[in-house]
Amino acid sequence: MRVCCGLTNHLELAKRPDLYGGPVVVGAGGGGESPIDKSEHVIAASEEALPFGVTPGMPLRQAEHLCPQATFIAPDPIAAARLRELISIALYDLAPVVEVRVEGIAWLDVSGVVKPGESIREARRRLRAAIGREPRLGLAPGPFSARVAAARARPGRLVQVEDARTFLAPLASRELPLDEEQLERLDLLGLRTLGAVAAIGPRELESQLGREGRRAVLLARGAEPNELIPWRPPQFTSAHRQFEPPVEDREALLFVSRALCDDLAAELGLRGAGAKRVRVRLVYESDEPDERLSTVRHPLSSAAELFGLIGGWVKEWQPRAPITELWIELPVLEAAGRRQLRLWSGNDGTSEEVIAAFERLQERHGDDVVRRPRPSLLSSPLPTQRFDWVS
Amino acid sequence: MQEMQQLEHAINTIRVRFGSQALTRAAELPPPQPWPSHTPLDRLTGIAGLPRGRLALLTGSGTCGKLTLALGLLAAATREFAHAVVIDPRGDFDPWALLPFDPELSSLTVVRLDRDSSGEAATALARAGAGFILLMGEVPEQWLGPMEAGANRSGSVMVGVVDAPGRAFAHASSLSLGFTRTDWVWERGQLVGLRTIARCLKNRVAPPLGESELEIRYPIGPQLPFVRPVIEVPIEKAESQCVSAAV
Repeated sequence: MRVCCGLTNHLELAKRPDLYGGPVVVGAGGGGESPIDKSEHVIAASEEALPFGVTPGMPLRQAEHLCPQATFIAPDPIAAARLRELISIALYDLAPVVEVRVEGIAWLDVSGVVKPGESIREARRRLRAAIGREPRLGLAPGPFSARVAAARARPGRLVQVEDARTFLAPLASRELPLDEEQLERLDLLGLRTLGAVAAIGPRELESQLGREGRRAVLLARGAEPNELIPWRPPQFTSAHRQFEPPVEDREALLFVSRALCDDLAAELGLRGAGAKRVRVRLVYESDEPDERLSTVRHPLSSAAELFGLIGGWVKEWQPRAPITELWIELPVLEAAGRRQLRLWSGNDGTSEEVIAAFERLQERHGDDVVRRPRPSLLSSPLPTQRFDWVS
Repeated sequence: MQEMQQLEHAINTIRVRFGSQALTRAAELPPPQPWPSHTPLDRLTGIAGLPRGRLALLTGSGTCGKLTLALGLLAAATREFAHAVVIDPRGDFDPWALLPFDPELSSLTVVRLDRDSSGEAATALARAGAGFILLMGEVPEQWLGPMEAGANRSGSVMVGVVDAPGRAFAHASSLSLGFTRTDWVWERGQLVGLRTIARCLKNRVAPPLGESELEIRYPIGPQLPFVRPVIEVPIEKAESQCVSAAV
């Protein structure tokens, strides 16, 4: 197992790139003109706030006392979750398993990926585009060691770990994902490094800390269970366009619906999915919206297939009023992998059949009748030397 | 005018006797799928490209530009299809002449067989679905039917290059373009190309679209487009005169 971890800002901070560069604290109950609820805790603090002693989990009142010049903002879980979805979509095609957390951690399980280096480079580029800052990257045998490695990388750089146990051994046991009380207990037991935790038996620590103790020993030993929860795209997608001013022209509607079909087809292609049901909605300026829904026999996945259906509807639609919005929704998706997308990209028949035809000709008339030219000495004045002929 | 009436009368007689489907106007036939070659030939075919599944002929006496055009088409096909095949019964095809057109040589296969066996090769490859087949000579008459049927089923683009096609070969083609050189193009005392008139001699895929004067530049390095139209002359009322028999 090889896991790449990209560490970025907490997504609550990433949704406000305009505040980059100064100390920012995200806490529940604050923000805007409303007074900060000092009974709440810090959810995230920017790198600039950390030197003042502000850490996630501390009371907001204490954070304000430590760093009064910080900008305090209220959390927006919906926006952060949306950003998480966007990052997950962006990373989805880079590795078989991708998990993104709002804490600003993105894991990619690159086991089995043919060119993991390219996936990691692309992940770095996409994370930078999404967050606006260079991520720290770690590559290790498991998610925990990858995260710890990434935390020790400089922005935009990768720390690669071959032997997780050796790498983790000198690090403080506070790196373990345990609560404050459990960490204090470890300290009392004299287990101050991950090497010390790894040296004792899992059952011994389980008797002290419960199930978390057993897991802590496994993590410290680098024998991590695969705990990544793969992100899966939602089985619903849609695209829409608003018209300002409202339109009545059918050609304009066709043009826009073709563009929307292109967008949806690109997304479906990325997911290897096809639309089993298609719904088109026209929202009027001064009337109830019109809607048309159809369930198709074979899932539609290409722009031509989608537009073939939707374009036909738009052509025969009689709008009652100027249209302000056009929605194309694909409420039911299903796997379209069995349709072997892009099978015909060579633009001719199956390659096997053509090659078989060549072989039959060679069997009947000799190997030399079918030959392929390969450039050899192209500048030679002798035509026979310019190409090697491969049978 | 009288000829038109006689023609209409003849058409009606055939339809009454053999059924309404016995004769179909070319304009009423469903056009085959085009393969856009991105050359002025596309306009002459009337379907914005060379017809898939049909045989197209480029004819004309030597040094009229037909082979230069065919090489340009072949190079484009190597970039677009997985298999572009040259059937070369005379054995004089040199891929070196193709290089200025920037071909994808990994897609190119040359089949060298004598004239009698070349029909078998063309038929087998058309049936198998090779994307583009360039015939550097005529195919024997007995292979024309199977070859046409195979190409029609698989959608292969077939282009033949001959000086003067025999009756059977001309009959089997769906599109025939005749080339006549009108002038050489000189620059700074050097021969750089030629001017030729491309005339649509036969068109079973769309109403004939007249003729076009083309300037064909011999490619010196990858300079495209190597061919451009100078004048285009549509044939008026061609649509009404083109009738194709289908029994």
